[in-house]
Amino acid sequence: MSMRKLRLAAGAIVGLAVAVAPAFAQAPAKYPKDTVILATHSSPGGGSDIFLRELLPHLTRAMGGVNFAVENISGGSGAKAMAVLAKAKPDGGMFYATTPTFIYTSLLSKPEASYKDLEPLVNVFFDPEVVYTAADSKFKTLQDVIDHAKASRGKWGAANPASLERQVLEQMKTATGVRAAVVTFEGGGDMLINVLNHTLDIGIGEMQEIRGQMEAGKLRVLAVMGEKRLEQLPEIPTAREQGVNVAVRKFRGLAGPKNTPPEVVAAWEAGVQKVLADPAYKKIYMENGLQPAFIPHAEYVKFVAEFGQETQDFLKSTGVIK
Amino acid sequence: MNELMAMFGAVVASPMIIPAAFGGIAWGILGGALPGISPSITMALLLPFTYGADPTAAVVLLASTYLGAEYGGSIPAILIRTPGTNSAAATVIDGYAMKEQGKAGEALGISLYSTLLGSIFGVILLITLTQPLANVALAFQPTSYVGLGVLGLSVIASLAGESLIKGMMAGFIGLMIATVGTDPVTGLNRFTFDDPELLSGIPPILVMVGIYAVAELFEQSSQPGWRQTNSADASIKMPDALMRARLRVAQVIGAVIGFIEGLTPGGGGTIAAFLSYNEAKRWSKKPEEFGNGSPEGIAAPETANGAVSATALIPMLGLGIPGSNSAAVLLGGFLIHGMTPGPMLFTKHYDVVMGLYAGKVISLFALVIVGYLILRPCIWLVNRPKHYLMAFIFALVLSGVYAIHNSLFHVGIALAFGVIGYGMKYFRIPTLPMVLGVVLGFMVESNYRRALVLSDGDHMTFTEDPIAATLLALAAIFIVISLVRHFRDSLKSGKAEQKAA
Repeated sequence: MSMRKLRLAAGAIVGLAVAVAPAFAQAPAKYPKDTVILATHSSPGGGSDIFLRELLPHLTRAMGGVNFAVENISGGSGAKAMAVLAKAKPDGGMFYATTPTFIYTSLLSKPEASYKDLEPLVNVFFDPEVVYTAADSKFKTLQDVIDHAKASRGKWGAANPASLERQVLEQMKTATGVRAAVVTFEGGGDMLINVLNHTLDIGIGEMQEIRGQMEAGKLRVLAVMGEKRLEQLPEIPTAREQGVNVAVRKFRGLAGPKNTPPEVVAAWEAGVQKVLADPAYKKIYMENGLQPAFIPHAEYVKFVAEFGQETQDFLKSTGVIK
Repeated sequence: MNELMAMFGAVVASPMIIPAAFGGIAWGILGGALPGISPSITMALLLPFTYGADPTAAVVLLASTYLGAEYGGSIPAILIRTPGTNSAAATVIDGYAMKEQGKAGEALGISLYSTLLGSIFGVILLITLTQPLANVALAFQPTSYVGLGVLGLSVIASLAGESLIKGMMAGFIGLMIATVGTDPVTGLNRFTFDDPELLSGIPPILVMVGIYAVAELFEQSSQPGWRQTNSADASIKMPDALMRARLRVAQVIGAVIGFIEGLTPGGGGTIAAFLSYNEAKRWSKKPEEFGNGSPEGIAAPETANGAVSATALIPMLGLGIPGSNSAAVLLGGFLIHGMTPGPMLFTKHYDVVMGLYAGKVISLFALVIVGYLILRPCIWLVNRPKHYLMAFIFALVLSGVYAIHNSLFHVGIALAFGVIGYGMKYFRIPTLPMVLGVVLGFMVESNYRRALVLSDGDHMTFTEDPIAATLLALAAIFIVISLVRHFRDSLKSGKAEQKAA
């Protein structure tokens, strides 16, 4: 018992030492754990892994000195990470960095634990999806692309067959009623080449993936597929502004085991809002093309459930699952 | 000249490049030599350590690891019939045959020498021509990949060995294995039995480890007198002048094919290794030695691997498009340090690119030194009494397979393919066509269907793309030539039998 107290005391001292003055001044409720593991299914260097590692130093400051560690639980496209999380103690000691992948994996296969066995905690970002074309192509607006597809046949590319990106293109096809082949690839790079060499009219992807080509002026972004324009690309209109009623919210948040205690939830809600406002971190995530999108716990649980239902309907309508 | 100065300047500015190049090579050889640990995993394991490092040293470390791992894969391929990496699978065939003839030291020497030549060639192209060559990758459409894949599969016709039917059977089994996983066009799950572990298909490395290494272990353990030590020579022998002259043609073939494959995203080292193995056989003065310990059969794929490890960086740096998993990890290394590879990298981070080039040059020296030093203990190790050795290899192979994703399921797959490989050996079905089917099946299928989705089902699209048309025509010619040769041979042997009877 006394050992445990000692350890707690030691942890608190470390925490105090790490916490910077402003964080301390607001005296947040003490987090019940010294060290929190943030799991990701992406391997080191992958999307979620980079996201977490960039977030952590800033999050430590915002959460009053709690230590964070990234654990890469790869395998089964998130199935393994979900299984580990579903069995973890709901004490705030472990969370899972989620993207729509965990919903897709749950629906496409029968993993040991599905997204329904986890409890969404809070959302942090949306990954803005953009539609782009080669800089020297004849398409100047999204309408040009739609008109072309109406007159003959469009060729639209998405990175993976069972993905949110394909879902968006299929929705766009239905919404506009045009004839277009939605071509899928094994990853964004492969598709990018086919946009650059004019095999495809357009491609869809995250801003981060095309940044190198965009900076070099080889690609033209035609539309933002979100609900609002992006701060990073203020001059690019959304699809809705161009008369195509499609908007997507590719979330990037955290999920944990069921029955996460309310004080832990409260600590995260405060911490995430604070870290998003941190100017040092803001500079990094704006450069990476992320859109801050804090969603509090109660709302986020509903959001993920709705997202799951929508995805399930889409996969059923395309015949991917029964 | 300016670039040479800039490279020298980069080394002076961040001297950490030198230890990074040596460390990367050493770590890469270790990771590459461990069965199951692919070059990209070897690199990814290092990635967390580079977060705080100097950006130039970090990318040099990763790029050197890539080269080291591509070389390291050939060591177990030659010594224990286990391809340490996917692309070392072609080296297994003649490398292990040479080892069985007691020429392990010579085989390892040829492998080191060829990898070195291939990577020197690749690094020169990387340094001088990255920006113009990057655009070559843009010429590749889905149709072109179909041509490339079919050309690769046409190799089956000439590699089938004694029985064409058995070779075709093995090839088809390989293609069938490649259909497991998510359908590339519709996203439907095929043969996954609702198991998330099967969603991304059966990894080719597990098939190779199973049918080569595990099957060989079964075979060795069932042979009488298996306690005897092997009489492999205990020292590494670099090729002499006569041997170097003999290897020249094979190495030129390997370098050219490796260079082209490195440039085309999705191609990758494995296809380059098999294609150059086959071409080296076609152009060799002694094609009958292939499969029975031909030095050229090691030189061609290893030269190709060396070349790929440098030229695969060309589309990654020049376009920001990673052509292979390993290049994708390197891309991650750039992103972590806030640099975005692509056309602008050369203006925005010129010093880092020059540092990377300098690091690649240093890593060539590191390859010679570390590669040479590491072989002695390896050769010593495989000359231990066979019962220890077999147990050691079993543990090494299975733990390597387990380590990829901490998955017992993968261990099960590798063991299952061990049983299949043993059965194939028993029925004298060649394994090589099956490996080719597994490696190429998904690429051919996905691009074929993609091309047809794009053309609205019109097959003429393959003739409209000049690259696809050329490659498919080449494949057709190769198939016809091998078939003619095959039937002529069997006709001859049939007549000979009649005379004998």
